[in-house]
Amino acid sequence: MVTALLIIHSLVAVALLGAITHQTLAAWAPAGAEPGSFFGRFRAVQSASFANAIAVLYAVSALLGGIVYLNFKVDIAPYLERDGHWQALGLLDLKEDFISIGFGLLPAYWLCWRRPVADEPGRTRAALTAVLAFIVWWGFLVGHVMNNIMGFGS
Amino acid sequence: MTSAPAFRRFAFAYGTAFAVLYVAARARGLALFTVYPSLGVVLLGMHRSRDVADPALEFIAPEVWWYGWTATAAIGALMFGLVAALLPGQWTRWIWPGLLWVTPVFAMIACVYLTIPWFRE
Repeated sequence: MVTALLIIHSLVAVALLGAITHQTLAAWAPAGAEPGSFFGRFRAVQSASFANAIAVLYAVSALLGGIVYLNFKVDIAPYLERDGHWQALGLLDLKEDFISIGFGLLPAYWLCWRRPVADEPGRTRAALTAVLAFIVWWGFLVGHVMNNIMGFGS
Repeated sequence: MTSAPAFRRFAFAYGTAFAVLYVAARARGLALFTVYPSLGVVLLGMHRSRDVADPALEFIAPEVWWYGWTATAAIGALMFGLVAALLPGQWTRWIWPGLLWVTPVFAMIACVYLTIPWFRE
């Protein structure tokens, strides 16, 4: 059961990673990009349409991660502590912190993309998206490190 | 922040306050509850296995504070959000919208600082 949840968690995270990376690059790409160029095609996509998916995927991924975390604390973390994997545990601590902070930003993030107001600086929306993208990338990479820590490369 | 509708003021205040309150909860040990997943026990407040029993108990009954810190920040931020939503729009006009992303960035840096002991082990 936990293994299935972990796999679903990682699949949701992959989808989230793709969506938010696309949106972030589109938000920060130069407006004058050539229409046929890579960034030109990136910007042609309606970035706002990603916002619903990103908010839902983030919430689902965090929820699944929160469930799997209980098993991690009982079945894995004590052994990592015994074997002195303190840096990896520190990275995971940061993942928890960043995910929570990102969770608090979701309502504002959604509003910035789905209900923008005319006098709101576009930079706020782009920066907020970049912060969330950093959190998602951090969570994804640290999740991979923790998943593989006692296997390949150990 | 401009003279925005109430939900907008709520969401902006909530996100900003959540980041600050999460760091405060993390730094000051203000977990609303502590979870012991191996025992299936949830206790109000922040507890440490090693403080009430043998340090070895932490291996058998590890505690989880993350949910408690998040709950503390969520409830606190909810209060700030509700207050912001109830304020007249022009009262929040002068607040710089960049706080919405600058505050979480500083909160994340603070979390890195709080995590440094892990990297000194």
